[in-house]
Amino acid sequence: MGRTWTSMDDFEAFLDGGGIVEVDDDMPDAYRQAVFAFIEMHANSELMGGLTERDWIPRTPGLRHKMAVLAKTQDEIGHAHLLYMVGADLTVKTRPGMLEDLFAGRSKFHNVFHYQAKTWGDQVAISFLVDAAALASQQAVFKNCSYGPYRRILKRIISEEGFHMRMGEERMLRIAAGTEMQRTMFQQSLDDWWWPALQLFGPDTRPGDVLLRWHIKSERNEVLRASWVQKFVPLLMSYGFTIPDPGLTHDPAADTWTSGPIDWEPLKRTLAMGGPDSARRIADAAANWADTHWVRRVLDDAPTRAAGTAA
Amino acid sequence: MRRYEVFLKKDGRDEFRHAGSLDAPDDELALVLARESYARRAEGDRLWLVNREHVILGDPEFIAPNADKPHRHNDGKAIAEHRRNVREDGS
Repeated sequence: MGRTWTSMDDFEAFLDGGGIVEVDDDMPDAYRQAVFAFIEMHANSELMGGLTERDWIPRTPGLRHKMAVLAKTQDEIGHAHLLYMVGADLTVKTRPGMLEDLFAGRSKFHNVFHYQAKTWGDQVAISFLVDAAALASQQAVFKNCSYGPYRRILKRIISEEGFHMRMGEERMLRIAAGTEMQRTMFQQSLDDWWWPALQLFGPDTRPGDVLLRWHIKSERNEVLRASWVQKFVPLLMSYGFTIPDPGLTHDPAADTWTSGPIDWEPLKRTLAMGGPDSARRIADAAANWADTHWVRRVLDDAPTRAAGTAA
Repeated sequence: MRRYEVFLKKDGRDEFRHAGSLDAPDDELALVLARESYARRAEGDRLWLVNREHVILGDPEFIAPNADKPHRHNDGKAIAEHRRNVREDGS
């Protein structure tokens, strides 16, 4: 139906010229697989994040923040929903197929959702540091992504992630102005979540990375990571917190912050489903899927009727 | 399950725009899911849902012949040149 390209060189020239690929274009299979894997991991991460957020609804202090967490849960599940639709249209896997793979531990999701949020401080650190890291990497995709349906849906997702991040910063601001006990709690959360959040960007982008070459991503991991460090180190220090990185250096002339050596082993463990909370998270998500089976069955069996007409 | 395409319209000035798609068992639930997935923060005040099976496609190849019809445009060069000549003669 859509466009065709005679060779990979021809296709890459189209991408280099700023071309946008649409769902019904006859894209090379390697491109289809790469863009699908990227979208599937994003969708899985939104869903796993939404389930974590849901767990915190009853434990969130104060009605205003409780309602905001409720809204955020709905946003994250909604993002997963949007992304699974975009993913399914690539016809690599069906929508139920993607969910089954996730709940069986066969497909990937972001490293940060392989850890457990134990305190409210952890939740604040997640909604501030992790959401900011996720937002920065999504923005770098959105800016120049060659796959049209993903780029368009990201616009919607990014605008909502912005609300989450601002809510996170507002909560951190309140904790920073709180009691000694609250500040100690948040420092502990910062110690636990700083490195996982930083590792969300991934190791340095390899030369010849296809995501960059095919303009699926538009920025190298190390560049995004460095700019996140540059932004969050002075911000957290201004609130009186300590960055848990003994190798952190400051260049006073340029006023730049550079993180010390990064231990990538924890990231590798999460990618192999061996993170500290991987097994519980996946089992929990799978149990949730099983528990809601009856809803899907009722919907599937519902008598079909048009809107506005009597059943 | 049916697959629907979702269109949203923001206000009187804007046209309906494609927002995305969704799966729903029937039209009534599709409307609810569309509102909760695509219009949580007043992204539009009107909603169109179209069953994807009913979308009629015109692909780039079908539209391409119209990209090469310069007689349907007027670049205004002849008029601009005439006006410039009049201005220069008058000064």
